[in-house]
Amino acid sequence: MLLVMPFDYGGSPYPIPDRIPKAHRAAWSHLAEPGMWWSGAERVAIAEETRNAEDCALCAERREALSAPSVVGEHDSSTALPPAAIEAVHKIVTDPGRLSKPWLEGLLADGLTDAAYVEIVGVLTTVLSVDDLHRGLGLDLEPLPASVGGEPERRRPAGATDEGAWVHTVPASALDAADADLYGGAPQAANVIRALSLVPPAVRMLGVLHGAHYLSYAEMRMMTSLDRSLSRPQLELVAARVSAVNECFY
Amino acid sequence: MLRASSEATETSVDMRAVVDGEADSGLPRGDALSSFAEALVRRSPDLDAERERLEAAVGAAGLIEAAGTAANFQRMTRIADAIGIPLDRDGGEQGAAFRAGLGIDRFAGAENTPTAAR
Repeated sequence: MLLVMPFDYGGSPYPIPDRIPKAHRAAWSHLAEPGMWWSGAERVAIAEETRNAEDCALCAERREALSAPSVVGEHDSSTALPPAAIEAVHKIVTDPGRLSKPWLEGLLADGLTDAAYVEIVGVLTTVLSVDDLHRGLGLDLEPLPASVGGEPERRRPAGATDEGAWVHTVPASALDAADADLYGGAPQAANVIRALSLVPPAVRMLGVLHGAHYLSYAEMRMMTSLDRSLSRPQLELVAARVSAVNECFY
Repeated sequence: MLRASSEATETSVDMRAVVDGEADSGLPRGDALSSFAEALVRRSPDLDAERERLEAAVGAAGLIEAAGTAANFQRMTRIADAIGIPLDRDGGEQGAAFRAGLGIDRFAGAENTPTAAR
């Protein structure tokens, strides 16, 4: 039996730097394993729904509607995930600018926990970013990994608190001992870095892909002398334009 | 970060290009970079053509960096909007007039992003 290593870019027309397949393999390995609140199989199902959302007729109709909730129906789904989880994945993928706290509260009323929701966000954004790098380069999407058995860890950080977001987050001063590395030892971290801290492994994966796709947190402080082909302002124009087209205020 | 990096590198950038795809940022190859990013986000049928145009403009390495950056911010925007995080302290105060000037306050996501500081 021939084993094919995932993310083999040997046949790609582009000289993809080693940091990218290395990070993508780490992401797929992480995706397949049991998480904090979802099993490996459920995490792969969340990844599958991330891809389903791209062609979901209900999502397309809602995206064009002035009031998305006025469009009722069922998502084009292929998994046994709870309906609230499927709604979360599809909406975040396809209409992120119109997410709202009442919408999230509806999901929580339907039985989704805040931490399970955060893990969904971590998984789907991992898959979306890996897939979008492929889309950007015109490469086929990587097959999703086979899930790994086992139980979720089910550990909620003791220091999670209300810091003004829709869900609790963990300030640097209140990290569990097991998560002391989470913000690189810094006394504080930007809100978008703390956003997923209810599920610490999701914060670590964010850093891995951030560094491979864009810049490491250390490189972000460097405005010049970056080992990149594009200048820093050119990179930031791309970043800003993506944020604007998504109507992201943050 | 576009504003900060342009100031740090003493590069002139017209920030209107962030919200207006037709505006000229003034950056080298800015038009090709911006159009590629927009085509990817919008799942445009023009993506293949924009990719070819960008590669011709900045080379394969530049294309990979642009695709990676766009992919990264597809993730970061969704994390910010899905978690409803407030603006960071520096962005909340210093950037208010800047955001208003560009019309960013009218973005759909503005309703869901508290301007409270951390």
